[in-house]
Amino acid sequence: MTESFCGYSGDRDEALIGFLYDDVTGEPAGRALFETHLETCARCQDEIAALRVVRKQLARWSPPEPGFAVTSRQAAVAGPQVGQPSWWREIPAWAQVAAALLFLGVSAGLANLDVRYDRNGLSVRTGWLKTPSQPGLATAISAVPIAPAAVAPSGGPAEPWRADLAVLERQLKAELRAMQLSAATIAARPQPVRATADADVLRRARALLDESEKRQQRELALRVAEVMRDVNLQRQADLVKIDRYVGAVESKVGVEVLKNRQKMNQMDILYRTSQRQ
Amino acid sequence: MTWTDEELVARSISGDSDSFNELVLRWERPIYALAYRTIGREEDARDVCQETFLRAFRALPGFRGQAKFSSWLYRIALNLCRDWMRRERRAQVVQPPEDVDLLELAAAAEPSESIEDLVARKDLTRLVERAMALLPAEQRTAIVLKEYHGLTFQEIAELVGCPLSTVKTRLYQGLIVLRRELAKNTKATL
Repeated sequence: MTESFCGYSGDRDEALIGFLYDDVTGEPAGRALFETHLETCARCQDEIAALRVVRKQLARWSPPEPGFAVTSRQAAVAGPQVGQPSWWREIPAWAQVAAALLFLGVSAGLANLDVRYDRNGLSVRTGWLKTPSQPGLATAISAVPIAPAAVAPSGGPAEPWRADLAVLERQLKAELRAMQLSAATIAARPQPVRATADADVLRRARALLDESEKRQQRELALRVAEVMRDVNLQRQADLVKIDRYVGAVESKVGVEVLKNRQKMNQMDILYRTSQRQ
Repeated sequence: MTWTDEELVARSISGDSDSFNELVLRWERPIYALAYRTIGREEDARDVCQETFLRAFRALPGFRGQAKFSSWLYRIALNLCRDWMRRERRAQVVQPPEDVDLLELAAAAEPSESIEDLVARKDLTRLVERAMALLPAEQRTAIVLKEYHGLTFQEIAELVGCPLSTVKTRLYQGLIVLRRELAKNTKATL
């Protein structure tokens, strides 16, 4: 620790603490004075540095998470909080996957995706128009991964796009119907799947509970046996002590009785002797 | 729309209980943290926190807005903490004499500390907690209000009812003790 002299003219402690917290309530001039002083005072520099370390350590002290009795009551009133899981997280994973597959299927259908694997290799086409007969328009995936949308033949003699448009409209309607049907089917179906999953979870939970219960019973039996053994040992030790104590008392009493008898005999002899005289 | 504290207070006074709930939600954690750091016991801090809001609710009609709602709430909580500490002191079997330095006692007691204490000392949080517990209540309160609640010296002075310079002195003295204690314990754990 630096024991160098500090010649600050004002109240050093107050100025130092004001500087440390950057709080110069009521004395901005004092701060300027202290800052000037600080440039040349090694002792104050050391102290500021050390107190900054203390502040860093203090910052790591956080109270334990409270299980608030007050807010638990309020939670219902307050409604959803920031950071709470979104509604969709509550949907089971299988339903999310099904929805994703449905979405992909519908998207593929809407995009009129055509995946073909033939002697030319794997080819992927997209677009609403009929596949052109020329194989050149569909690019094999080995050359280009995904072929661009088929180019509509322009300027046909009988405006073929009208027919295509009608076909597209029909197809779109059919797919929308199919999508609605699939959604309705999924909505109606989750019960058995969920029931199976629930039963499985329930079975596992029961197995765990049974196992835990057995373990606790074993531990309890072990503890009871230990306690019984300890009690027996203690009882035996106590009995031995009592025996010893009683023996000692008895021997003491016996000695006293003998002494008393001797005294009484002596007194008896003395009495008789005195009567004879 | 986010209401200010003062608006929520006004609405609460006029009978809107949801507004008071909002105030509780907003200030529950800071008040609990203040109580915990002041008295150092989780259960008691929770009790103090609940009692603070209960008293605030009862006294709300008398709140005229002379101070900020948060300052008013802090004052209630600090008074409750002080009452709690007084009760605890009275409940203590042995009172340290006036001339005995508790820090010296704590230092002397170190070699006999348990294994659990030794393990706990490795956690800086515990270190800080224990060092803070050694501080006199006034110094601890000043540090907690400044360090963890970001109050200005002036606000602390008004809250605890003492001159500005006293607040600064308490802070400085408290930090010096903490510095010494933390350095000592950190060395001991290495």
